[in-house]
Amino acid sequence: MALAGLAPWQQAFAQEARPLPAYAAWKDASAMIVHSANTIELRRTAMGDGVITPARQLYVRNNLNPPNADILNDRDAWKVQVDGVRRPRTLTLAELKKMPTETVTMVLQCSGNGRGMFPSKPSGTPWQVGAAGCVMWTGVPVRELVRTLGGADAGARFLTGTGGEVIPAGLDPKTRVERSVPLAAMEDAIVAWELNGQPIPLAHGGPLRLIVPGFTGVNSVKYVKRIALTSAESDSSIQQTDYRMSAPDAKAMNPADPSVWQMPPKSWINSPLPESGKLRAGPAVIKGVAFGGTNSVKQVEVSTDGGATWKVARLVGPDLGRFAWREFAADVDLSAGTHQLASRVTDVKGRTQPEARIENKAGYLNTSWRDHSVTVTVA
Amino acid sequence: MKSAHLARRVARLAALGVIAWSGYAGPSFAADPDLAQGRQLFLNGVAPLPACALCHTLRDAGSNGAIGPNLDELKPDAARVAAVIRSGMGPMPAFTALTDAQVAVLARYVSTVTKP
Repeated sequence: MALAGLAPWQQAFAQEARPLPAYAAWKDASAMIVHSANTIELRRTAMGDGVITPARQLYVRNNLNPPNADILNDRDAWKVQVDGVRRPRTLTLAELKKMPTETVTMVLQCSGNGRGMFPSKPSGTPWQVGAAGCVMWTGVPVRELVRTLGGADAGARFLTGTGGEVIPAGLDPKTRVERSVPLAAMEDAIVAWELNGQPIPLAHGGPLRLIVPGFTGVNSVKYVKRIALTSAESDSSIQQTDYRMSAPDAKAMNPADPSVWQMPPKSWINSPLPESGKLRAGPAVIKGVAFGGTNSVKQVEVSTDGGATWKVARLVGPDLGRFAWREFAADVDLSAGTHQLASRVTDVKGRTQPEARIENKAGYLNTSWRDHSVTVTVA
Repeated sequence: MKSAHLARRVARLAALGVIAWSGYAGPSFAADPDLAQGRQLFLNGVAPLPACALCHTLRDAGSNGAIGPNLDELKPDAARVAAVIRSGMGPMPAFTALTDAQVAVLARYVSTVTKP
């Protein structure tokens, strides 16, 4: 009885921990927080120091329950329809594998990562920092696919991906997972079948996923069965009436409000944390991750006094491109007492992570350095 | 004042599963026709709208819809159910054709039968 030594209230909380759902049972349970069967994040204490997030520690957010796992039985037979090009056609994964491939390293981050730090408590999963990871995807560049099929139709303005979840008969077809992003994203997007060098698991969209680097996770459509260059944004509910930066007091999402697309610059500290145990006064290293969304990181600064003063951190580890995150480290001296540790990133275009979050109805895109700061006590 | 504090504490402990809430034996549908109506709405919907049960699992209703979240796991409160029905969420469209009364009945039903 592992719970035997715990106080009753501790047992109650321990029993409340949800198990990993079957389709993600292979995840590192000790490193994950299971909010629900379709929302699972990585603990901040488990982020580690390596630049790549292992698949077993990568967060999961499925907007619909995943399809049956038997879609992975014959991955090469998976079909994707390509429309909005001169010569539309259906290709199998086996055919895609014969085309020129590319690998992109990028931050995959849920639009609502950091929602749990909004005092307004917006509806939705109260993610902390762990609905994010830095991973490598391998597949065919969408621009190559489009070129091979004769180029884009005139009037194409969006890249639209449709997921392969099975929608029950009788449902409004707008219930499908279909997202559109501006056509320019096509230059960086790939149709991927490998995650960190291995076939994409069902939990992450295998056998085939549309990957849109620099954009929030929802835009990288899982189980992708159709890719289209379209003149208008999808009419799906997930495009029109969710994932919008609507005002906090809006009664409902307004399709005219800005869509949640590109990620703004963001960083956070992963060590030390309040959970790190007792800290002794003296030299310490502050470590964390920083990314520029669509641009490379220029600089990361850290503060040990809640933002009153800042010190430039050094970037460590490899630079894996403008869509990846950088690990950073700063040597500091911590005196006895309480310290509010914060980090802020500036990208090469001069955009600096702000102090204040942008208040919005659904709690998207929280990049506030103050919200992401941690308070530690030094003895 | 003191007894109100005690009642809140007992309710909180019951919610945490630390103690059994002996005075609560589940919703009484006979005494509460709204709950029966909520279950009926959940299972059958309002034509031509699809029923909640088509997508959602809810033990009380005997539904095993597997496309949207399992409501027994989610345990949403009434305000959240009502907000999602009215505004939609993710792929779920807004059910704007439902009346305020229907939304209220559904919200109360789902939150009541999933209450921890």
